[in-house]
Amino acid sequence: MEGVFYNVNFGYIEGIVRGYRNALLTGQNYSNLTQCETIDDVKLQLSPAYGDFLAALPPNPSTSALANKTTDKLVAEFRYIQANATGTLSKFMEYLTYGYMIDNVALLITGTLHERDTRELLERCHPLGWFETMPVLCVATNIEELYNSVLIETPLAPYFKGSLSHQDLDELNIEIIRNTLYKNYLEDFYEWCNSEAGVAGTPTAEVMSEVLEFEADRRSINITLNSFGTELSKAERKKLYPNFGRLHPEGTLMLSRADDVEGVRIAVDGVSDYKNFFDQTGLSGSGGAGVSNMAGGMGGETKSLEDMFYQKEMEISKLAFTRQFTHSVVYAWVKLREQEIRNITWIAECIAQNQKERIGNYISVF
Amino acid sequence: MSGSGAREPVFPTRQSLQVMKSKLKGAQIGHDLLKRKSEALTKRFREITRRIDEAKRKMGRVMQIAAFSLAEVTYAVGGDIGYQIQESAKQARFRVRTKQENVSGVFLPQFESFTVEGKDDFGLTGLGKGGQQVQRCRETYARAVETLVELASLQTAFVILDEVIKVVNRRVNAIEHVIIPRTENTIRYINSELDELDREEFYRLKKVSGKKERDAAAAEVERTKKEDQKSQSQNDEDVETHDVLGDQDNEDVIF
Repeated sequence: MEGVFYNVNFGYIEGIVRGYRNALLTGQNYSNLTQCETIDDVKLQLSPAYGDFLAALPPNPSTSALANKTTDKLVAEFRYIQANATGTLSKFMEYLTYGYMIDNVALLITGTLHERDTRELLERCHPLGWFETMPVLCVATNIEELYNSVLIETPLAPYFKGSLSHQDLDELNIEIIRNTLYKNYLEDFYEWCNSEAGVAGTPTAEVMSEVLEFEADRRSINITLNSFGTELSKAERKKLYPNFGRLHPEGTLMLSRADDVEGVRIAVDGVSDYKNFFDQTGLSGSGGAGVSNMAGGMGGETKSLEDMFYQKEMEISKLAFTRQFTHSVVYAWVKLREQEIRNITWIAECIAQNQKERIGNYISVF
Repeated sequence: MSGSGAREPVFPTRQSLQVMKSKLKGAQIGHDLLKRKSEALTKRFREITRRIDEAKRKMGRVMQIAAFSLAEVTYAVGGDIGYQIQESAKQARFRVRTKQENVSGVFLPQFESFTVEGKDDFGLTGLGKGGQQVQRCRETYARAVETLVELASLQTAFVILDEVIKVVNRRVNAIEHVIIPRTENTIRYINSELDELDREEFYRLKKVSGKKERDAAAAEVERTKKEDQKSQSQNDEDVETHDVLGDQDNEDVIF
């Protein structure tokens, strides 16, 4: 039923996004890119997709400049869609930006904590996470002021409320703050998708639940793996796991008790996807001998867990386009585009540093 | 010739000859010692050059891997984490201390790197994603910095040794080509001057003795003459009568 009226409000946006999706680089494009000898060649290969944005770059640009320009394109397109979005879609797109906002706010809090001139930091903020009151964050000079008068005004205020006090901002590691915020954000987004009048029960809720559950599980697993050997206690760690997802609640409980990679593997055994990831990365059994094979120059053949997660995310995003009448295509498109930017940066980096043997490590789903 | 070449401004006396001779001896011993020192230093220098070569090659490789692992971090985290890391690092974990090494009297500083055990300041960076890459990147860079420290200590030693070897070689050459020839020249000069003096003295003595002989001979002649006269006059006294005018003392004035 929802399909009948969806196009009345959101048909144009959906069409545009599907058009954008068709402009994404394909496997053919990527294999052309990997043949390049210089960054200039890469630039040339990218010109059909990114032409006008890359035109301003000087010859042989740095990889970071390349990444910035490609991000600029994503931002420009995102802004266009956002400007045309109405109703639930506009709210949905706001939710998309919250993730970047959390990163930006964390950055600014770091700056304030160390009493730096936060104005310089504004340039480093992710443009998608820009919100109107963000420059105001720079006005605050101490953390209490920041918390009491500035953060309250941001869209992120609900995520701070109830879980973080201003003492926490001062004392806790910024990474913990960031992950707490992200957890609250994911839960809120999930809740919104499944309860909002115009969204609940539609394909949007269906697809977004899958995506967000995967995102939640990914974060839980990553936090667990990355916290080994740090001063993060198990109780604190448990607080960072989102309260939904395929691993919730048994899996997260087991994750919170895990002491090593083996423990994590046992925790995720119940979900076949994640179990497969662990089997493929060779983490199971070897007991953390190679937590990730991605680095070190050697053994680049097997993929790291991180890679597998990215791969899975891309597949979910790709499948999202098989559904019609849903907001989730926007999410999927943003994620696909982000991965594309990462791929381009990676390939450019490999070419710039003459490390061709690892150049095939990008993730392409089309 | 003794006059040619530089020599020291001394008076050609036996005393200064002695001084010069001891000076020459000292210069030769010093030359030997310095030469040996220079050889020892050069040996060390060569070894350091070789190790610098190795270290530089190693640095190239390590830095490449390190830069690449940073690229991996960028890929995994999907953004710039530079600022956050800069801010969360409060204390240096990787530190350097120096000690001195004595190579034939030259003090070479040696840098030693060590890691302060304890909590790492950004252990939680990339907690959500990419944490493993961040940690590995850090390890790779720690190795790269280790290589840099090693290279720095070698380079410092290289520069210092280079300087010292130059100074020592300059001294060796100065002694070999300036001081020793000059001292030898001086000794030759003094010797020749002394010989000259000797010859002069000898000639003078010969002259004096010749004159003395002559004088002695003249005196002898005089004496015999006198004796002859005396005996004659004695004989004369007997026969000769004195001038009656008593002017036998006056000689005849002959115009």
